[in-house]
Amino acid sequence: MRGWDLEVTAANRPAPGYAEISCKAPQAVAALPGQFFMLRAGEHPDTYLPRAFSWYRQEAPDRLSFLFRVQGPGTRHLGGLRAGDHLYALGPLGHGFTLPERPVRAALLGGGVGVPPLWGLARNLLAGGSEVLALIGARSGAHLVGAEEIAALGAEVRLATDDGSAGRKGLLTDLLEGEQVDALYACGPEPMLRRVQEISLGAGLPAELALEAPMACGYGVCMGCVVERTRPQDELGDYGRYARVCREGPVFRAEEVRF
Amino acid sequence: MDLRVAFAGLTLKNPLLTASGTFGYGREAAEIYDLGILGGVMVKGVSREPWPGNPPARVARAPGGMLNAIGLQNPGLKHFVEVDLPFLRRYQTAVVVNVVGHDQQGFVDVVQGVTGQEGVAAIELNISCPNVADGLLFSQDPASARRLVQAARAATGLPLIVKISPNVTDPVALGQACKEAGADALSAINTLLGMAIDTARRRPVLGNRTGGLSGPAVKPIGLRIVYDLAAQVGLPVIGMGGIETGLDALEYIMAGARAVAVGTAVFRDPYAPPRIVRELGEELQSHGFENATQAWAAANPAAREAAS
Ligand SMILES: Cc1cc2nc3c(=O)[nH]c(=O)nc-3n(C[C@H](O)[C@H](O)[C@H](O)COP(=O)(O)OP(=O)(O)OC[C@H]3O[C@@H](n4cnc5c(N)ncnc54)[C@H](O)[C@@H]3O)c2cc1C
Ligand SMILES: Cc1cc2nc3c(=O)[nH]c(=O)nc-3n(C[C@H](O)[C@H](O)[C@H](O)COP(=O)(O)O)c2cc1C
Ligand code: FES
Repeated sequence: MRGWDLEVTAANRPAPGYAEISCKAPQAVAALPGQFFMLRAGEHPDTYLPRAFSWYRQEAPDRLSFLFRVQGPGTRHLGGLRAGDHLYALGPLGHGFTLPERPVRAALLGGGVGVPPLWGLARNLLAGGSEVLALIGARSGAHLVGAEEIAALGAEVRLATDDGSAGRKGLLTDLLEGEQVDALYACGPEPMLRRVQEISLGAGLPAELALEAPMACGYGVCMGCVVERTRPQDELGDYGRYARVCREGPVFRAEEVRF
Repeated sequence: MDLRVAFAGLTLKNPLLTASGTFGYGREAAEIYDLGILGGVMVKGVSREPWPGNPPARVARAPGGMLNAIGLQNPGLKHFVEVDLPFLRRYQTAVVVNVVGHDQQGFVDVVQGVTGQEGVAAIELNISCPNVADGLLFSQDPASARRLVQAARAATGLPLIVKISPNVTDPVALGQACKEAGADALSAINTLLGMAIDTARRRPVLGNRTGGLSGPAVKPIGLRIVYDLAAQVGLPVIGMGGIETGLDALEYIMAGARAVAVGTAVFRDPYAPPRIVRELGEELQSHGFENATQAWAAANPAAREAAS
């Protein structure tokens, strides 16, 4: 973890309500897939706290981008950045995804704004000889993000949308039916993660889930970002009931957390 | 610039401490700078048994700051003494143990448990946490605060600091009761009780419904309370609430704080504490002071009188 002053090199709108900001980033920033940064820019009374974002793409060794949906004051502010602006980034933070020891066939599930951490994961899995099936979902075809970028890495991509305007109509997890995979990796809204957890536990299929939680610090000091553990850490008694998403996560094994 | 200050029988290398609950037990910040830069570390509230804390969501944004309802999640006295304190002992900084309990005995057991442990410089009784059911029990009436402080006083010879709540009508009366019961110092302020509403979900944002407001938004309230405590109670005060820069720290010192603490600002900028120490030196100099002690209560003549 370190504080970085990043210069924005490009700002795009890949879908309605989404923004991607690309930054010039020293190679030392080196983040693992699933790790995240706390970002903030300028002064704004309602964005006193930085906001958490996974890193998305690394189009060149000295570039790093973030992809997010504009939701409130923090993302509105960051979404207004233009090339030449600067932002403050703290990171890389947290524990990222675990890569398999041997090549596998992995399914990556990204729902909505859950797609960003899957780009780096797909890249690293493919580089290690694994096959990647990327299942990407959104409300509608217009809201799909990241599918082309992940396909360009060499992953097999399938789509699902709530309204059927692109790919299959229905739940992202339905796309798993009939698929033979060795591991699941997922990031997205909580109902989707719950479903992936059920599938993982039911089929004995290893799964890792990248979680979100409201955060204040992002580096473990405020205890604000917790998730309930399935198995509290015994030696710490009650204290062990909750784990910090920013420090022990944001990536957890499916069986570790209780939604 | 000589930044050393005398505080309740201690000599702090500079007036800046980190506020309880915003710094864990120092481990995370120690990854990015030497904690020996700090005047002191006020650790996250320690209870007799481990406490799980409140259900999420525990933090929310607020204009100029944030709301929190952590609920004092902490690993308990045994873990603190065996694991966290030995870690903090490695650094040349004053460790202030923030103590919490559900009842008087809970407080006293932790006070006893840390007294005599090597590396504990002082104790801060947190009778002002708005985020647990009984958190403000001892602040609501000066008589029960008095009994608690008396019991803690009997249990320790360490400097005893009582943390004052801004959520009471008369913080000065509370401070006065603590003084009479044997407190050596006061700290102020803890967070202010507040709320945020999630309009999409039609319910309060925080799992605990209410939470404590902190950050720059609360600085004027912190300054007012520190000013009054320093002038009317006459005990040394650690001032906090919205400190983000060396200039903020100087405002608190001029208002009558002997030392100051930085809290929420470390969430925005983890490097804030070493920066504020540096900036405070620069501010003292540019304001014409030769050392930190000279600036104390410069804007609060009544506090100078009360102390003399
Ligand atoms: C590890 C991690 C990685 C993440 N990665 C990404 C990513 O890659 N892309 C992405 O798009 N997002 C990501 N997020 C989510 C992102 O952090 C949030 O979208 C962002 O913090 C929203 O901030 P905001 O100020 O725009 O919205 P806010 O308005 O602060 O929050 C969004 C919603 O929360 C509720 N809310 C929270 N606090 C309040 C309050 N005080 N008052 C009222 N309502 C409130 C409201 O429902 C609101 O619509 C990630 C989160 C985490 C923890
Ligand atoms: C997330 C969070 C946790 C806190 N936990 C504690 C605590 O355990 N004990 C305590 O006495 N005060 C606690 N506080 C209060 C702070 O120590 C401080 O009094 C208050 O936040 C005002 O200072 P600030 O505006 O600089 O944050 C906490 C504050 C925050 C924001
Ligand atoms: S966000 Fe502060 S502990 Fe995780």
